[in-house]
Amino acid sequence: MASPYETLGVKQDASQKEIQSAYRKLAKKYHPDLNPGDSAAEQKFKSVSAAYAILEDEDKRAKFDRGEIDENGVEQAQRSYYRDYAQGGDAGGRYRNAGGSADFGDADDLFSSFFSGTRGRRQQTARGDDLQFKLEISLSDAARGGPKTVTLPGGSTLELRIPPGVRDGQVLRLRGRGGPGFNGGPDGDALIEIQVLPDKLFVRDGDNVRIEIPISVREAVLGGKIEVPTLSGAVSVTVPANTSSGRILRLSGKGFPNRHGGHGDQFVTLKIVLPNTPDPQLEEFMRGWEGGGNFNPRRA
Amino acid sequence: MNDIEFCRVLEIETATLNLWVEERWIIPGGDHGMLYYGDADLARGRLILDLLKNMGVNDAGVDVVVDLVDQLHTLREQMRSVMDAIRQQDVTVQRSLRRALDAM
Repeated sequence: MASPYETLGVKQDASQKEIQSAYRKLAKKYHPDLNPGDSAAEQKFKSVSAAYAILEDEDKRAKFDRGEIDENGVEQAQRSYYRDYAQGGDAGGRYRNAGGSADFGDADDLFSSFFSGTRGRRQQTARGDDLQFKLEISLSDAARGGPKTVTLPGGSTLELRIPPGVRDGQVLRLRGRGGPGFNGGPDGDALIEIQVLPDKLFVRDGDNVRIEIPISVREAVLGGKIEVPTLSGAVSVTVPANTSSGRILRLSGKGFPNRHGGHGDQFVTLKIVLPNTPDPQLEEFMRGWEGGGNFNPRRA
Repeated sequence: MNDIEFCRVLEIETATLNLWVEERWIIPGGDHGMLYYGDADLARGRLILDLLKNMGVNDAGVDVVVDLVDQLHTLREQMRSVMDAIRQQDVTVQRSLRRALDAM
């Protein structure tokens, strides 16, 4: 076996600095991790390291020079190198870096995804992207539901069945109508967010719907039948005699369909409205109305 | 093993390991709650120590080396897969690939 001086390629009287420099040069050349495919590198690196272990320590170097220890004087511990793990599953792909081959093959090349390798060695299938759309509908459409055609930005159309009672902001999912899948993966979904436009008459309140209906003084005092619009068409409603402004009538089952298969209610708030122009006859009557002078609604 | 055991085996300070992890020379497995270090990380740590201590490579040099080492192993792995795939082909396909390589 070669002497440590021969192994490092230095003279017997080399300085410690020369020895270190020689060792560094050889270590860089033979380190197994810098030569992952060279099985001989490990043995060379081991003998270089063993030689350096003797010569770097002036004490041991002197012992060797006096013949007190031989070139095997410093036992090298068995060790493993990173190259022994780098290509197994040991590191779980954490150190994978395909930068060296990412440009192999054009994007449409059969092998490009193999070399770009960002998804790992096995080609993964991936679900297509979900595409998001918005659809504006009227409040009555929201109440009734039914089929609706959505025109997509690309010009294609989607047939959509709006569930009766759909809420503002509710998202309808059309499975498989989104972006195409990759490598045979399933297509994504189309997600359609419903925007219910404000209505001139109706205000939604959960499953219920509210509406304000003007009535005349005569209707308020004497009562009578009036027409009230509902989501499903006008209905006839009786205003009781002696009705104050703000009185709320409930039309049972005339609200939105709810999740339990029933319907909410419609609440009709009555509001007394006077004629647009002052009516001398009405003024005359009010002056002569004795009860009216004594009644103060602000006093309990 | 956890970070404390890792540092004990390599005889390094935890601050040193933190720096290595920050530089992504070492990428522990697991999530933030429970990081763990395996034999591959340990062997990688020994390579980093060899570079820093025995070969006189500075931090910037280590950064370059580990990056190239990772690329090299990934290329080796891809090359091995290509070779495996070629071996699975019909012998006439293998021969024609060999001829094409010889002609390069």
